[in-house]
Amino acid sequence: MKLFVKYNRINLLATIIIFLFASLAFYLALRYILMRQVDEDLRIEQHEIETYVKEHNSLPELIPVKDQKITYTVTQEFFKRRKFSTTELYDSLEHEKDPYRVLLFDIKANGKLFAVTVAKSLERTDVLIHSILLISFSTILLILAATFIINRILLKRLWKPFYSALNVLKSFKLDKSRPLEFPLTNIDEFAFMNQTLRTTTSQAMKDYSLLKEFTENASHEMQTPLAIIRSKLDLFIQNENLSEDQSRTMQSAYLAVEKLTRLNQSLLLLAKIENNQYAETTTVDIKQKIGEKTEAFHELWQSQDISVNTSLAAATVNMNKELADILLNNLLSNATRHNYSGGFIQIELRSDQLKITNSSRQSQLDQEHLFSRFYKQTNSRQQNGLGLSIIKQICDASDFSINYSFGDGKHSFIISWV
Amino acid sequence: MKVLVIEDEQDLSDSICTYLSNEQFVCERSFDFNTALEKISLYDYACIVLDVNLPGGSGLDILNELKKQNKMEGVLIVSARNSLDDKVFALKAGADDYLTKPFHLPELAARVAAIIRRKSFEGKNQIQINELTLDLSEKIVRINSTEIDLTRKEYELLLYFISNKNRVIAKNAIAEHLWGDNMDVAGSYDFIYTHIKNLRKKLIQAGAADYIKSIYGMGYKFTA
Repeated sequence: MKLFVKYNRINLLATIIIFLFASLAFYLALRYILMRQVDEDLRIEQHEIETYVKEHNSLPELIPVKDQKITYTVTQEFFKRRKFSTTELYDSLEHEKDPYRVLLFDIKANGKLFAVTVAKSLERTDVLIHSILLISFSTILLILAATFIINRILLKRLWKPFYSALNVLKSFKLDKSRPLEFPLTNIDEFAFMNQTLRTTTSQAMKDYSLLKEFTENASHEMQTPLAIIRSKLDLFIQNENLSEDQSRTMQSAYLAVEKLTRLNQSLLLLAKIENNQYAETTTVDIKQKIGEKTEAFHELWQSQDISVNTSLAAATVNMNKELADILLNNLLSNATRHNYSGGFIQIELRSDQLKITNSSRQSQLDQEHLFSRFYKQTNSRQQNGLGLSIIKQICDASDFSINYSFGDGKHSFIISWV
Repeated sequence: MKVLVIEDEQDLSDSICTYLSNEQFVCERSFDFNTALEKISLYDYACIVLDVNLPGGSGLDILNELKKQNKMEGVLIVSARNSLDDKVFALKAGADDYLTKPFHLPELAARVAAIIRRKSFEGKNQIQINELTLDLSEKIVRINSTEIDLTRKEYELLLYFISNKNRVIAKNAIAEHLWGDNMDVAGSYDFIYTHIKNLRKKLIQAGAADYIKSIYGMGYKFTA
């Protein structure tokens, strides 16, 4: 729910409740005041009758007046006090029942006791109340509508800097070296927010580039010691008197150095891709490249009894040539390494995508962590867990999308470039 | 023949020289830019192994100096930088080959040998070891003048062995030489064994001596 929708909702609800209570109070007050007015009129009427009786010792004659009724009835009892009441009476002029305010009092005339009722129609009072209420209700509705619209427009405008800042932030990428540009605002809170975002993101970018630099430098620095270890091993095995045991030890050392070298090269490669050192792109004929690769892998596949099925349509992509090589090497190496003797690899090239499927004894890979660095499904000693993240990184750098699917013991990687 | 190794890392330089030095090669060393410049202007070498990052200057400047002085030395660049751009740049600047650190010494030796063969003006593009003849331009192997049919990989393997005659070559070094380091299939050395077995069989069947010996499953040695 948007902030101003929520705000409007609460605001409207509160306003409506307040207005309802206010209208009720207004109605009651209005009614009370008008009733008092009618009662006052009735009292004046009573006073006139009493004055008339005092002067003439007889009751005044009844003259039919609109909206007013007077009746005299002989009675035996005294009323302790006069009595007001509201009731419906039949109006002979209009032939309908109307609400009347009635005053009942007693008076002595001609030696007889009369109960006198003076009734005044409330019809006009009701009409008055109704029209007053109608006017106030329409005013309230009008105010509500106006507040709603004004709030909507105003809030939208007030929050505009916030949404533009969000949009800027959405496009933020750690590896893009440009600092974020937030729109100017004269609202203190938003200016403060933008300032904070600016410092935080530029600090993050700085840290990130330091980290990248560190990775690259560390990898570079490791090359020379690795070269020394390798060369010493190469020299050491020239020794004529090596025993079988020692040779086996040397073999382990070789493998470990090999692994370390590969790991180091992979880290260096990742750092370089992130540092945009492979930004130069050319048109690469993928079909031809795959042809070269399948030829290079042919012997390996044959020796492991892996059957390879290719269906290649013509396809060219725009990417870095070196990365194209590495990408295909990694994809095919993966498909080979995780295969089994008697398995298969299927290479399907369309003009818009490349799909490489391989048989494997491994279960489905974890979609979420598949491309993370050092992710290993099984605790294999041979891999360093960087192969797939290199593939992913190359795809990202080349604006390709990569998807993984699994079914029926077959793992597929699909790279699309359109 | 003299080989000059220009490499500031003394340990690495030691290894290279120890490995290269044999009845054929004499190895000289220099550890920084200035002594390297001095040496190349004073003496002639069959091949120069040149590190790019040197104290006092860049190895590429030494390369330029060589070209300026019209020296005919073959140059093998060794560098920690492994991007294609660096390689292309060095080769365009006149280097004969480019090797990325860390490398295997047999690989270095094979590259140095290849450069020297290419640069030598003896005209005969052939290697002769007893009954074995390698025609380098035709990529043909003959035994007692009978041509034997080798696959490309087997031929490369034989040439590699001959360039590292009487040296033990680790299996890893062979794998890397044959497959390059792009093909990440570490651990699968079985098919190297197949290649070597086939090569040996073909050589012996054609009447050659059994030159290739396995060393405790760790590597192989071509003895002649």
